[in-house]
Amino acid sequence: MTPDPAWRPTRRRPGGTPVTVVVDGRPLPAAPGDTVAAVMMLAGASFRRDRDGGPRAPLCNLGACFECAATVDGRPLTRTCLTPVREGMTVETRERR
Amino acid sequence: MTFDLAVVGAGPAGMAAALAAADRGLRVVVVDEQQRAGGQIFRRPPPSRDTAFRPSAGYAWAAGLIRRFDSDTRLTKRFGWSAVGALYDDDRPGVLELAVDRPGDGLRVIAARRLLIATGAYDLPVAFPGWTLPGVVMAGGAQTLVKAQHIAPVGDVVLAGAHPLLLLVADKLMREGVTVREVAFAQGVPKPAELVRALGAVPGHVRMLAEAGGIVAGLVRSGVRLSTRTVVTAAEGADRLSRVRLARLDRSGRTTGPARAVEAAHLVLGYGFSPSTDLARQLGCDLRWASARGGWVVAHDERLRTSVPHVLVAGEPSGVAGADHARAQGTLAGLVAAAELGHPVPAPAFAAARRAVRRAARFATVVQRLFAPDREALGRLATPDTLICRCEAVTRADLDACLAASPFISGVNALKLSCRAGMGPCQGRYCESGVASVLAAARGRHIGLGGSFAAHLPIRPVPLGDLRALDPDASGDRPGGDETPPGP
Repeated sequence: MTPDPAWRPTRRRPGGTPVTVVVDGRPLPAAPGDTVAAVMMLAGASFRRDRDGGPRAPLCNLGACFECAATVDGRPLTRTCLTPVREGMTVETRERR
Repeated sequence: MTFDLAVVGAGPAGMAAALAAADRGLRVVVVDEQQRAGGQIFRRPPPSRDTAFRPSAGYAWAAGLIRRFDSDTRLTKRFGWSAVGALYDDDRPGVLELAVDRPGDGLRVIAARRLLIATGAYDLPVAFPGWTLPGVVMAGGAQTLVKAQHIAPVGDVVLAGAHPLLLLVADKLMREGVTVREVAFAQGVPKPAELVRALGAVPGHVRMLAEAGGIVAGLVRSGVRLSTRTVVTAAEGADRLSRVRLARLDRSGRTTGPARAVEAAHLVLGYGFSPSTDLARQLGCDLRWASARGGWVVAHDERLRTSVPHVLVAGEPSGVAGADHARAQGTLAGLVAAAELGHPVPAPAFAAARRAVRRAARFATVVQRLFAPDREALGRLATPDTLICRCEAVTRADLDACLAASPFISGVNALKLSCRAGMGPCQGRYCESGVASVLAAARGRHIGLGGSFAAHLPIRPVPLGDLRALDPDASGDRPGGDETPPGP
């Protein structure tokens, strides 16, 4: 189940040809130029969980904190806040530790 | 095959340095993790949805600098690449090899005769109960999500911290129709004498102060509560934030009276900035402790040379002092690199660059004095159960237990090795200040005596396979090969 998203688009957010990224098996609509983190936040998607199962979410949005890290197209620990979306991109938030 | 200057960071310092160096004839490469130039202060929307860039008041030069940098075809620009470390090759004296990595491309090596560390800063982390809950976000993060990604928080927002950036973010959020419940500052209002001193030092910055004043008036008109001597003592909620607890600080920086609860879906934190010094640390540059300038900063001489040969520093890693100062230092660093490599730089150009640095430093000093974080008071916000190291889930109690069991531990690195704080993917960027505070409190010693976390290559996690590109014997395997400057 996905909770209500905690983020929404602003007026300045453009339309344009949509891109689809697959996050934990769920296709999410994105706009060109979006970061993966922003797409996930708009969709209310979960980010990584900590060792005690506690939920986490992007904190710094500039690449320093790694709270938004996920496996992107098979590459672990990729910072989704620095990663622009590409059609067909796959994102897994369950870390392979 | 070798660049004259490699610049890490395309913010005000990096852009100014690259242009100044290229103007003197240097072959320059600039590397930045973001997709576009500007740094965090001038983060822009992605190129595909460009809109006119409007810098905030006080930074009238920013649009011109960005335009010049963007359109300059002499520069080699590498966006989306992370600098993961620098190495010396004994066979090539005087040349540094900068390792850079990008998801999908892997690791490459850039050879350069000078390296400029212009890596900027990030929001100062402050640990308190509940700060790992979704809904808690740093001020710079909230600002860039709205500005560059065009998304805004749903539900009520509380902003808390100690830095005037909170006012700009509050204003930005309100303009997007977000309900701001409260802006809480840890310090008191500056005293009249302090403001008079500030005004005397800021002839060129009156517009910036006026903008902040205008924002305060607007927030108050809109019914936003502005509190001083107030800190967040807890973020509460089940799976995400639903309530923030705020408490008054007394004159000695201790919380006093019961904390009050404010319902909020988002908490925006802005206590100031930590300089990004991990690349300098990895290279072995000397650091020095300067609390008001961000904590551990890279030591340098008046020509911005670090303790490591061929490595220069400019902007926030040399001490957080704002964009004007960063730009001025960047220009000076570009000229220094040119002069060191034998390109003529007229004395008046040097003198002008030095004057610009001094002028900007004067204003920065005043701002630093007014908004310096009280690290001892902030350090006390972490309770025994509070996670200090978010990555490795190390609590304050864990750290205190390590310290009690090992009475001879006196530095943060020893503490890191004995309890894993600082060993996760963020490599200590988000816990160093917290670990240092706990250590200082436990040992009753000044925070600057605990030292700083060491940094090793790679300073960002990269897949093990990528590191094979660093092995010269496996050069045939270098996936992308070396980076080379464009032909003569």
